[in-house]
Amino acid sequence: MTDVTDVTETGADSGGVARSDRDLSNAADMIICEDISKWYGDFQALEGVSATIKEQEVVVVLGPSGSGKSTWIRCINRLEEHQEGRIVVDGVELTNDLRNIEKVRSEVGMVFQQFNLFPHLKVRDNVSLAPIWVRKKPKAEAEEQAQALLELVGIPEQADKHPGQLSGGQQQRVAIARALAMEPKIMLFDEPTSALDPEMIKEVLDVMKNLALSGMTMMVVTHEMGFAKEVADRIIFMEEGQIVEVGTPEHFFTNPTEDRTKLFLSQILA
Amino acid sequence: MSEFAGAGAEIGSFYPMSRPDTTPPVEEHLPPREWLKKNLFSNVANSILTVLSSLLILVMLRGLLGFIFNPLRQWNATAVNLRLLMTHAYPADQYIRVWFSVAAFLILTGLSLAVWRAGSRIPVPDVGKRVIALGVFVTLATLLAPFSTSARLSWLAVAVFLLVSGVAVSRTSKDRSVSSLSLLVGACGLAALSLWVIPYGHHSFIIDRTPKILAEPGTVDLTTKLPWTLMLLIAVAAYGAGLFLRDRVPAKVARTSLVLAWMVTPILLLFLVLRDPDFDMGHVLSTDIPIFLVFAVLGSALLFWLTNPETGEVGRMVAVTVLFLAFGSFLTPMRMIIRILMLLLAMFALAGPTFSGDRETRHRYAAVWTGVAIFVSWLVTAINTPSTVPVPGQFFLGGFSMTLMVAFFTLLVSFPLGVMLALARTSSMPIFRLLATWFIEFVRGVPLITILIFFSVMVPLFLPDGMSLSEVAAVTIGYALFASAYLAENVRGGIQSVTRGQHEAAEAVGMTTSQKTVFIVLPQALRVAIPPLVGQVIGTFKETSLLVIIGLFDLLFVAKAIIPNQTEFMGSTRENLMVISLIYWVISYSMSKASQRLEQRVGLGEQ
Ligand SMILES: Nc1ncnc2c1ncn2[C@@H]1O[C@H](COP(=O)(O)OP(=O)(O)O)[C@@H](O)[C@H]1O
Ligand SMILES: [Mg+2]
Repeated sequence: MTDVTDVTETGADSGGVARSDRDLSNAADMIICEDISKWYGDFQALEGVSATIKEQEVVVVLGPSGSGKSTWIRCINRLEEHQEGRIVVDGVELTNDLRNIEKVRSEVGMVFQQFNLFPHLKVRDNVSLAPIWVRKKPKAEAEEQAQALLELVGIPEQADKHPGQLSGGQQQRVAIARALAMEPKIMLFDEPTSALDPEMIKEVLDVMKNLALSGMTMMVVTHEMGFAKEVADRIIFMEEGQIVEVGTPEHFFTNPTEDRTKLFLSQILA
Repeated sequence: MSEFAGAGAEIGSFYPMSRPDTTPPVEEHLPPREWLKKNLFSNVANSILTVLSSLLILVMLRGLLGFIFNPLRQWNATAVNLRLLMTHAYPADQYIRVWFSVAAFLILTGLSLAVWRAGSRIPVPDVGKRVIALGVFVTLATLLAPFSTSARLSWLAVAVFLLVSGVAVSRTSKDRSVSSLSLLVGACGLAALSLWVIPYGHHSFIIDRTPKILAEPGTVDLTTKLPWTLMLLIAVAAYGAGLFLRDRVPAKVARTSLVLAWMVTPILLLFLVLRDPDFDMGHVLSTDIPIFLVFAVLGSALLFWLTNPETGEVGRMVAVTVLFLAFGSFLTPMRMIIRILMLLLAMFALAGPTFSGDRETRHRYAAVWTGVAIFVSWLVTAINTPSTVPVPGQFFLGGFSMTLMVAFFTLLVSFPLGVMLALARTSSMPIFRLLATWFIEFVRGVPLITILIFFSVMVPLFLPDGMSLSEVAAVTIGYALFASAYLAENVRGGIQSVTRGQHEAAEAVGMTTSQKTVFIVLPQALRVAIPPLVGQVIGTFKETSLLVIIGLFDLLFVAKAIIPNQTEFMGSTRENLMVISLIYWVISYSMSKASQRLEQRVGLGEQ
């Protein structure tokens, strides 16, 4: 299991190695998606998506709005149900079996665009609630861990406040701490900085970078190209519910093969 | 798209408004002339309206004063019959039990006021302004009322005293302030003092009659003035104790125990103090206690095992088995207490996996079960034991105490029931949803009176042999079912206001559906539902007056049908109705005020 407390020691800027140089070919498969399809009524949101994500890999998913990025990432912890294909997370296949779903969810952390913190609970309780009742940790231990995680994301002094009293960037960092408190093997991020004011984006991205450097397996939907270039092992480009192109950041940003990718990049980098 | 709407609402509450660091604009203080001109006589139409409505108010006030001070009024009907109004036929020689109960409530009130930091500080000049306003009102009333000259003069003296002292007080420094609670205590203190010195009774103030006082000093019985004075002292002492405890006990502990005390105390007072069950000790020792012990010991062991996270699926199966056994116990002849404890144990067992945790959590869960089992065993035994208090008539309480009792038990039963119905109606299980919807829509389609009559007349006929239910209990159950349907709809509104993002966040950290419901959905839903729920609580309290229709001796019945039939107070219906309206109003208004504070407090936590 990834030891999240390593993050502080690694530091944000010490990871000078290009991430894509890492050799992950021998790492275990953490997420396997085989030909998954999903419909909302008559509308097909995912059309045969296949991908395998290795342990410790950081994958950034790009694509225009409405291309199915959120739908895909939400299928991986069963917030949405896929109708065709197979999803296996750390050896557990997602079926209608509730026990499998609970198992996968407790191993996969998720960070939402809108933070979705629990507004009626203090920041500390937001972080420690699930460890206490889902992981069955003793309360004192869970609160200690919550404090350590808040320190890790840089806001130990906010523990006794309610989420509504925090800035957007602070709230998103609490949300990351809340997900980490379950000691997940995989972290999913769905546009974690899209609802933030520009000056707060960096503080959240820094936390994510540290997490990546500590060896967490991550799948990130984002429009932050700098983050993608610097941190991703692999970039997956999606459009209209299909994966169009997969490659290292280097390949992706310098000589993409598909026309649709080129068009997307020209629009986003213009 | 609902995701979007929810997200928008959330962003609004998430970003605290940044306030520029400026002082708020100073409130305008116009001189009286200009204030009048601006607010009441700004143009011709407004001036006409002002004059007309002032005239209307004056006419109504004069009519009201004429009614109140009419020599035919028998205001002492309620004062003399206060005992009848409050407790109906409860025996006078057992009245110490009633005073004990009142004291218990006042102690809880005093403690709660201190722990929840009720009351505010009012600047002394503002108090003066209110006294001046009172003085102006008394002057006006004295001039309008059909008083004799000497009565008018003495009332004017009172008014002048109020005006002068009001002006004096309003001239003092703005920095001094008094707490509103000490003002309240001061007023109550004056009222208590007046019981000792003022000759309450029949006074004649009216023109053409020599002003004469028909009551002699010391008219108020010692059995009235002594307890009331003591009660005030007890309330003040309890408030002091609350202040003392507030700084020494963690706020959360103090508040939780007080809330629990507010729920348990009425039950204890009713069935232990007021009803005083004549326990048959032989039976208690040979039957009741052994039954309790079996449930406490075996139940605790079962729950301790069930709340072990490792127990897993087997635990759920065992819990369901207990539930079936409990249902089965209602089909076979068996002691009621066993059936009830079985059912409760099944509930605890079913909820076990939701609250499973470390050893400490599991011990706490078993301890809560034991506490509940003690309380329920005692309660069932007490209810089934005859009372030592000899009461003529159908029920040992009546009047205001019955009103309070029915309202309390109705709310106590309908709250959990209403929440469960709301959860069932919003659940993803079609069978629950269907049953809850049917029940709610059926109950909401039937008038309350029909339900009350049905439960008072029909239900006792349907009961199985050997089971009896007093009429009051049957009616309370009917009323609780009725209230729970409306309550469920209010709670459902709250549940539906919880955004999809909250559900997803709870699911994403691996919570089960019941954990999500208990820790995330319900706390937020109930907060949102506070205003409609308080409205409903107040409504439930007031509508207990419908009990009159099925012939129970509640407050309204005593005021309307008993007192006006006494020879000395023949036809005093209107006076009594005015007084009990005041009682209803004071209680409803206090609840409404308390809920406003609750809303503010809850809002604070969320901003
Ligand atoms: N709950 C839903 N019901 C119906 N259509 C949906 C729902 N969620 C998403 N969609 C549709 O599915 C498509 C993919 O959406 P999404 O995965 O959110 O895209 P992205 O995250 O890439 O912007 C969009 O066309 C969107 O309108
Ligand atoms: Mg999206």
